[in-house]
Parts: sequence; structure tokens; C-alpha cells
Amino acid sequence: MPSYLLKRLLTMGVTLIGVSLLVFMMLHLIPGDPVRYILGDFATEESIADLESRLGLDKPLPMQYFRYMAGVFQGDLGTSYVTGYTVMEEILNRFPITAQLAVYSIIFGSIFGIIIGIIAAMNQNTIFDQLAMVISLIGISAPSFWIALFLILFFAYHLGLFPISGYKGFYSLILPSITLGLGTAGNIARMTRSSMLEVIKQDYIRTAKAKGANLYRLIIQHSLQNAMIPVTTLIGLQFGALMAGAVVTETVFALPGMGSLIVSAIATRDIPTVQGLIMFMAFLFIIVNLVVDLIYTKLDPRIRYD
Amino acid sequence: MVFMQVVFILFILSANGGMNMKKRTKSWLIPTVIASLLFTGCAPASQENPEPSQELTKGEIVVAAVTEPDSLDIHKTSSIGEPTEHLYATLFERDLNGEIVPGLVKDYKVADGGKEITFELKENAVFHSGKPINAEAVKKSFERFLEKSPFKTNAGSIEKIEVLGETTFKITWSEPYAPFFSNATSAYLAPLDVSTLDAQGEGFDKNASAAGRLQLTEVKRGDSVVYKPFEKADWGAKGTPGFSKVTFRFIPDDETRILEFKKGSVNVLLDVPFQYIEELEKEPGVELERVSDYVMTYLGWNNKLPIFQDVKVRQAIALAVDREPIIQNTMRGAAKPVFGPLPEVVNGHSPAIEEKARQKYTQDKEKAKQLLAEAGWSEKNGEGIVMKDGKPFSVEMWVQNEPAMQRVAQILQHQLREIGIDVRLTVKESAAIIEQTPKGSHQMILWSYGWFDADILYFLLFGKGKSTRLHYEVDELDALLQKGRVEMDPEKRFKIYEEAQEFLVEQSPWVPLFVRESITATRGLKNFKKHPISNRIIWQDVEVTE
Repeated sequence: MPSYLLKRLLTMGVTLIGVSLLVFMMLHLIPGDPVRYILGDFATEESIADLESRLGLDKPLPMQYFRYMAGVFQGDLGTSYVTGYTVMEEILNRFPITAQLAVYSIIFGSIFGIIIGIIAAMNQNTIFDQLAMVISLIGISAPSFWIALFLILFFAYHLGLFPISGYKGFYSLILPSITLGLGTAGNIARMTRSSMLEVIKQDYIRTAKAKGANLYRLIIQHSLQNAMIPVTTLIGLQFGALMAGAVVTETVFALPGMGSLIVSAIATRDIPTVQGLIMFMAFLFIIVNLVVDLIYTKLDPRIRYD
Repeated sequence: MVFMQVVFILFILSANGGMNMKKRTKSWLIPTVIASLLFTGCAPASQENPEPSQELTKGEIVVAAVTEPDSLDIHKTSSIGEPTEHLYATLFERDLNGEIVPGLVKDYKVADGGKEITFELKENAVFHSGKPINAEAVKKSFERFLEKSPFKTNAGSIEKIEVLGETTFKITWSEPYAPFFSNATSAYLAPLDVSTLDAQGEGFDKNASAAGRLQLTEVKRGDSVVYKPFEKADWGAKGTPGFSKVTFRFIPDDETRILEFKKGSVNVLLDVPFQYIEELEKEPGVELERVSDYVMTYLGWNNKLPIFQDVKVRQAIALAVDREPIIQNTMRGAAKPVFGPLPEVVNGHSPAIEEKARQKYTQDKEKAKQLLAEAGWSEKNGEGIVMKDGKPFSVEMWVQNEPAMQRVAQILQHQLREIGIDVRLTVKESAAIIEQTPKGSHQMILWSYGWFDADILYFLLFGKGKSTRLHYEVDELDALLQKGRVEMDPEKRFKIYEEAQEFLVEQSPWVPLFVRESITATRGLKNFKKHPISNRIIWQDVEVTE
């Protein structure tokens, strides 16, 4: 296990360097000059040159990249061109909200998705199965801004159960978490259903049934555990989708998280902020998937990493 | 049956069943719950204590704004708006008729043909910190502005600033700069209290001190900015502010903003989206304040391209445009057509020029076609597009990714098509347009400008080396605009700009289109007004009634 972990951590380092290079190149290739954006209509050739020099944008691209990476290795993700705050400050300020949103969404999506998936599998080819799959399809295909507005209108505006927007503690994250978690729930439900159906057909399940095992015990104890491996993989992968989904959800709910920050940073070509946020999100994604891989060994003792 | 299944599965998943699964469920459920609790604990200090209710506190005003300012530090920001501007008191102000009147400066004396101006500050004025606004403080603020601000060109070519007394200071320019007075009515040139900043001259957001009517109390990045009224500011006849707190909340989504306002958790809604005007007009207790904006939208093109060299072609394009359907269909009538180069609120606007331009360029499709024919665009291809030397008149128009602007572009496309000009629309991000237009990579653009002084005609639109969007640089016009910059006599200056505008109307290097109405919805407030020129809230008389 330790050597596996070491290998994974090394791979993580290489992946992050790859991500940083890719993001750096993309940000410099897309049209839109941050200096001209900041100076706007008042830009003169002198002020452009002056600001470029202050931001270090007058240096050759490879030098800019190496200077940036040298900072990253020392824990310095740079300073926002636009706000003047350090990128680390911005991330630390906003990460807790996005993290809570992601965790609550995963919890909601997993519980809801697994329940629907099990119900569908247990009632295969019945109206409940079809209904469960329709619900999961809606979760996957409905645009998150539409779901968000629907939830706001019904639960926050008409019923007054939750705040409409802004961050005011746990209650203000319930509707955004449902919005974000519905797509995850849909995917998990479909995966749980198909995995469960596969497991149910196995010989040992038939044997357990023949021995008169209680149906629920059979499903939960004997089937679900084995069906959870692909589902767990999916949960890990969904984390990336949640980060992407947070961009829209945080904008609609006016949540001061990383998603809304990245939207404004891209629009203003705030290169250090975009780069720092994407690197940080990539780091989280890798860590989450490493944890998921480690959970496999718990779910299936036959899996060994050494 | 299914309900029972749901209950049972929930029971198992919540780790309360006494089976083996309990242990396994813990492997993912418990860490996630712990993680979320940890993150809750990590929430920013300013956001730790949730507000239990959305009701407004007594005397509180909550303003819903679309965008968060990049920085509250006026020397660092790249744009100002309601959430920033009221933190600052300006050196000069505009009265309700647009006249420049004293602000922090009570008097001034111009010498050496405008190269030297001696300013006398009002006595007893103080910053939010309580420190006096004296000549030394203003000098330090100016020096920081000249060092850091992206807008330092707005102060002209300052050579030196000298303190002559407690409240007297002198600025010397390398050449006279007439727009200074106009520009000094904007917060960009307003003084801030440098003494409260850290050793590096940073940290304004954490310890902000300026002299505006609103004093900063809290900044929640990405969420809101909170102010209290500055007791020592001028609060008019009654002498005290009619509110106790102002919170600017940043809610980018239109629908969410509207719902917050309708629900009552917001009592000032800035920039009401056009599609909601009618609905809010019918809402009981809601008042709409409508003020003409100073930002003008125009149809421009790269005048260096051969296709736009003939003045008849440019005039034909202007004659093809009908502003009314644009305003009615895209902004529900909440805009005012503009024909001349400067909208009404800009210092230098001439009603006579506006009228002349209106008469000359009111839509006339037949005349437009005739002018095109005279310019050699008489043949038509199978699609009805005019041609010259076998080439069709086909151009690409760039438009930013804002839905209303895209609809305007579609109507313009249709109107130009009616005189035989083919327009292809390309939607681009603002950042890309800002970068690429100075290089002349564009053909046509739908764009806008906003400033309070006629000098905008020089430093952004038509000055030599400055015409970054329109690329129209003509000696005669440039000479006039340069003259306007250094002429310190307001009347003579106005005449110069009239002449320059007349030239522009005749040459038609662009098509001015409209200025939007800025619509603000309020509820539970008395005497809420916006300044007709600067389009900013006048806090002096506002009172919370509910």
C-alpha cells in the first residue's frame, strides 16, 4: 500500500504540472488581453507597457510560466490582476462554501441515487422501475439553472422555507445542493440499478435465496456491497462534474464560492486567478479519486494495491 | 410496497440497522459528514453567523447589484459603480443641471494659460478616519493615484503638486488640460486617506477611509459590501441620514435578483431588466426611478478598410438605420435615440447638432440606396446584395455576448440588408473585442462608450493614435479635438466641440444609436432619487419608511 500511495502521489505531481501547462497555454492563446481589459477605454501605449511590466506580462511566455511554477512550489499561487488579492486568499475565502456545496450534493446525490437505483432493480420492468428511470433521466438532463429557478420559486419564494440567494449558513445551501446533486443522483441511480441487476443474477444470490434469506437482507447485505464498486467509481468521477456544475449553481444562487469566482475571472482574463482555481480544483479531483480507489479495498477485500 | 422499501433503505443507509452494512456505510458516509462539518467550520469569519431571517433590520437599505467591484480602492479599480462610488467625496461635483460646482474644493485659480491651477479646499472637511482633508492629504492621495491608477491619464500630464498652505495646493501641468474639472467630478480623482494604509500603501479594503456619504463597515468578498452613513457628511436640511445601514448585495442572475426584490429581502433593485419593467410597475408599493444613462451605444466600423472610405457609403449606412424598432423591440422603449456624437448628459453636448444630425439621418432607405449607387455599389447579385467590381458588400459585425445587444445587432442586420448590405454577425466576449479592435482586426462592431466630457471624442474615439475602435483619424478633426483639450474658457471650448461634432455628423464615421434608461426599483423608501447626469443614487434625502 505505501508504495502504491507513493506512486499515486508522484503521478499526481506530474498530472498537476500537465494541468498547469495546459491551462497556462490556453489562457495565453484565447483572445483577450488582461492589460487592455483592466485599462479599458483609457489605455495608452505607455500605460499598457507600464502595466505589462508591473504584471510581468512583458517577459517571454516560458519565463512567465517558470516564474509562476516557482511560486506554486513555494505555495504562492500569485496575485489577482484584477482584485489585488492573492489567489490563495481568494481560494481560502471561497473554498469552504464550494466544498460544503460539493459534499452536501454528493451526500444528497448518493443517498437519493442509490435508493432509486435499488428500487428500480428490485422492481425490474415494473411501473416503479420505469418511473425511477424517468426521474433519474430528468435529473441528468434537466439544465441546472432551470432546476435552480424552479426550486427557488417554489421552496424559497412561495413557501419561504429557504433563503432565495446568498450564503447564510447551512439552510442556504440546501437548495443549491439539491440542484447540483440531482444530476449526480440520476447517474448513480442508473449505475446502481445496472450493477444490482448484474449481481442479482449471480449464483451466490440464487443460493442465498434458496436458503430462504430475507429479501431485504439479500439485497442490502449480499448484493449492494458488490454492486457498490462501480457506483463508488462514479461518485469519484462525479466530483469533477460537481465542480463544473458549481459554476452555474453558485451564479444563480449568488453564492460566494469558487464557481462564481472562476466565471468572473475568465471574463476579465484574470490569468493568475483562473490558473490557481483550476490547479486547485484539479488537485481536489485527484485527491477525491485517490480516496475512492482506497475505498475499493474496503468494499472488496480481494482488491490489493501492492 | 415501494414506500416501505424507501423507508427500509434509508434506515439501512443511515447506519441504524444492526447489520454488517452499518460498518461499511460508515466508510463513506461518516467521512463526508465530518468533511462537511469541517468545511462549515472553515467558512469565512464574516459568514460564520448566519442571519436567521431575511427581514431587513430597522433603517436598513439592501441594494441588489449585478456585479461586484473588482476593488473598492479607487486607485486600483478598473470600473466604478454604485457599490464603490459613494465611499468617495469628489473635488468637484455636478449639480442637477450638469454644471460643475464645488465639491471638496471650494475655489480655484487658473494661471499660466491653464498650466497651473491653485485649489482651495473647504475647511473642516474630514475623512472617515476623522483625520482632516488638508492639502498634504490630497497631495499624497494624488501621488498614489498617479502611481497606481489605470486611469491616471484622466488627470492630464501633471508635472508637480505643491502644498501652499493647510488647505491650499497647486498642480502644474506640462500643458493645459481643460477636461480636468469634468474628470474631477468622478470618484477616480477623489482623495482617499493614505495614512490608514499599510507600509506598502495597500490594504484599503481592510481599513478604508475616504470622505463619501457612505462609510465602509464590512466587505464579504463575492457576496456583499456593507456601509453606514458617514455622520460628518452633509445630510441636507434635516442634518441626519434617513437610514442606518446600506448593504450592496451582488446577485448576478436577473431572475434571482427580481425574486429577492419581490420577496422583500432587497429594497433597491438596480438595473431592472427590461422584461420586468411592466411587471414591477404593477407591483403595489414599488416605485421606478428612470434616468437616462450616459453610456451611448453605437454602430461602428473600421474606417481604415477600403470599403468604408467613401463618405457616401458611410452616410448610406447611417440612413439605413431606424432606431425606434431597436428601442421598442429590444429595450421595451427604455432608451432614447441619439443621432449626434455626444448624448445629452455629456459636457459638450449641443442640442443644435443633435437636431441637425436627426434631420440628416432619420431613416431614408431610398436615399441610402441612391448614395450607395453613387458610390459605385449599384449592381446586385442574385441575393439582392449590392456589388462593386464584382464583389458583394458583405461585412462581419462583432457583437458582445449580451442578449439585448445581440437582438440589436439582428435588427441592424435586417435594416442594412434592406439597402443591399450583407452583415454577418459574430458574438465575441468583451475581452476579445477590447483586445482585437485596436489592431484593426474587425470590420463592424456594435459597441458603446461612456464618459462625462467631450474629451472622449479625442482620447477614445477619434484622436490620432487613440481611435482604437473606429480607426478614424483625420488631421482636421484631430486638430479641433486637441484644441478642445487645452482651451480653458468653457464657452470657447464648447464652440470647438460644436465644430468637431458638425464635422463628424457630415463625415459619418459611425452611427450613434441610443442611450439606455437606467431603471431602479425601490420599495419602502422616501425621496429616493438618482442624479440625472451621473446616474448615481442621491443618498442625502433618502429615508426608510417601512
